Amino acid sequence: MVMSKTARRFDVVFTHVALAIFAAAALFPVLYTLMTSFKSQGAVLTDPPTFFPQEWSLEGYQTVFNSDLLRYFLPNTLINSLGSSLIVVALGSLAAYTFSRYRFRFSRALELAILALMMIPGLTFVIPYYRMASDLDLLGTSQFIIAIYVGWGLPFAIWIIRSFIDSIPVELEEAAMIDGANPLQAMRFVILPLAMPGLVAAFLLVFVDTWNEFLMAVVLLTGNSRTATVGLYDFQSQFEIAYHVWTAACIVIMTPALVVFLALRKRFFEAMLQGAVKG
Amino acid sequence: MATAAGTSSISNTLTQSQYVPPSYRRSALIPLAFLLPTILVLLVMQVYPAVYAIFISTTRLRRGVAEPIGFANYERLFQTPSFLDGLKNTAIYGGTLIVLTVILGMFLALLLNRRIKFTGSYLVLLFIPWVLSDVVAGTMWRWLFQPNYGILQDWLTATFPYLQNPLFTDPTGSMAIVILASVWQALAYTTILSLGALQTVPHEVLESASLDGANRFQRFFRIILPIIRPTLLIMILLVSIRAINSVGLIYSTTGGGPGRATQTASIYLLITGWRQGEFGLGAAVSVVLLGVNLVLTFFYISLVGRKREAA
Repeated sequence: MVMSKTARRFDVVFTHVALAIFAAAALFPVLYTLMTSFKSQGAVLTDPPTFFPQEWSLEGYQTVFNSDLLRYFLPNTLINSLGSSLIVVALGSLAAYTFSRYRFRFSRALELAILALMMIPGLTFVIPYYRMASDLDLLGTSQFIIAIYVGWGLPFAIWIIRSFIDSIPVELEEAAMIDGANPLQAMRFVILPLAMPGLVAAFLLVFVDTWNEFLMAVVLLTGNSRTATVGLYDFQSQFEIAYHVWTAACIVIMTPALVVFLALRKRFFEAMLQGAVKG
Repeated sequence: MATAAGTSSISNTLTQSQYVPPSYRRSALIPLAFLLPTILVLLVMQVYPAVYAIFISTTRLRRGVAEPIGFANYERLFQTPSFLDGLKNTAIYGGTLIVLTVILGMFLALLLNRRIKFTGSYLVLLFIPWVLSDVVAGTMWRWLFQPNYGILQDWLTATFPYLQNPLFTDPTGSMAIVILASVWQALAYTTILSLGALQTVPHEVLESASLDGANRFQRFFRIILPIIRPTLLIMILLVSIRAINSVGLIYSTTGGGPGRATQTASIYLLITGWRQGEFGLGAAVSVVLLGVNLVLTFFYISLVGRKREAA
């Protein structure tokens, strides 16, 4: 582009400063939460508030670790999230493969119908799910909430995985089939490894979504079947204005999702940039 | 029942497999077997409950039995001030959220799309709020604006001494907190979608335009914007749907208060339909919101469709 050297340099500096400000704004609440979680009961409510703890304390974490959060809520959340995201990736890749490679009457219509389901908001289902669960005596079970999450995650997963399978040449599987592979084997050994970024992105999206899901969890789960987000919400009334406890719970709950995100970020960004934006 | 009917019609359609090469490609069994689990799950967990929601919305529970009452729930709903206020709040919350996230997301994407260092790291940092749960984010923002000890409230009071009430206890202020928290959380999403769209714009086109003397703004409005318009539209649609159905963040930040200042239609649904056990009324709210979503979706499809014809 035609631009003087100074103008170009100003541009680069401006870009970095602007991006750094937004990145700092994104990070600030998290850092302040982290700092608060290391304050002691007496040091939380100071006027004026301080960013760093004067004395580092683990009181908040002790309360959290002795609560039901670690004993029940986090394990429940892990089971629900992992269960639903693995099932979504398995079923979604089978469906995406079929839509990408087979044409049958109404296949396009069926695919569009599945995509259209994404437009139904989760809120629509709250009351029906509650009634279904109580009729089937499944209130407060992982099975029911996993089934809900699978239904929510599937359409988007199919969409995102399909765009990756579409970009793989058909000749690859045909070669494998000539060598004697059946369709399931061709998919397992040829397609899935190549479509990995799509699978990873689908897994991550469902995992993070379900890890953080609140609406269905708060409506359907009670007692020891509650998940971390519901537990955190209940903390707010249980430990009123004990902000060091709330923030410690926040840190404990966000860590697993952050770790999964950071581990899978490259493939996730790749998928989001390539696959998910086809209008 | 619905399930059986659905699958049999699918299996009829599968006999028409058109794909040629290996012999089993023609067999209807493989696509059927591969799709069956997905179709079953979606029929039971999505199609059935959506229809069921419409049914529930026309009933009222009396002594544990749902009795049909026609559209009485809807009539009642549109005479209930707190629901109408909820719709108004949804519009204010959603409208502001869309404008802010789309403009800021596009701005960040334009910056990230430049050939500079560290874009990957900025992207990761920007994405951290997106990874957090609504309730975690809500708890954080509630703490940042805590009336007496919140650090942001403290800065605000120090900077603008004429602000009398703490933001959290002020109706407009609490809406501002909720919107700020939502923008903070959703910005990464619009940024990455915009960035993906920007990367589809061919570099040569931009270079030849700038050689012809188009400045930065002309390049953006005359070249980039028309190319990425479909993605921009789907982004606006997704953010609107997200805003209409947002529950966790608002519920955990303000709980709908003070008063009903941040009680959107979706929070109203949660409070009446679930906490107060008014299933019929709550289902009616959800059907109204579903209708709003569908209208927006068709509006979007018509906008994109018109573009395709013009092109």
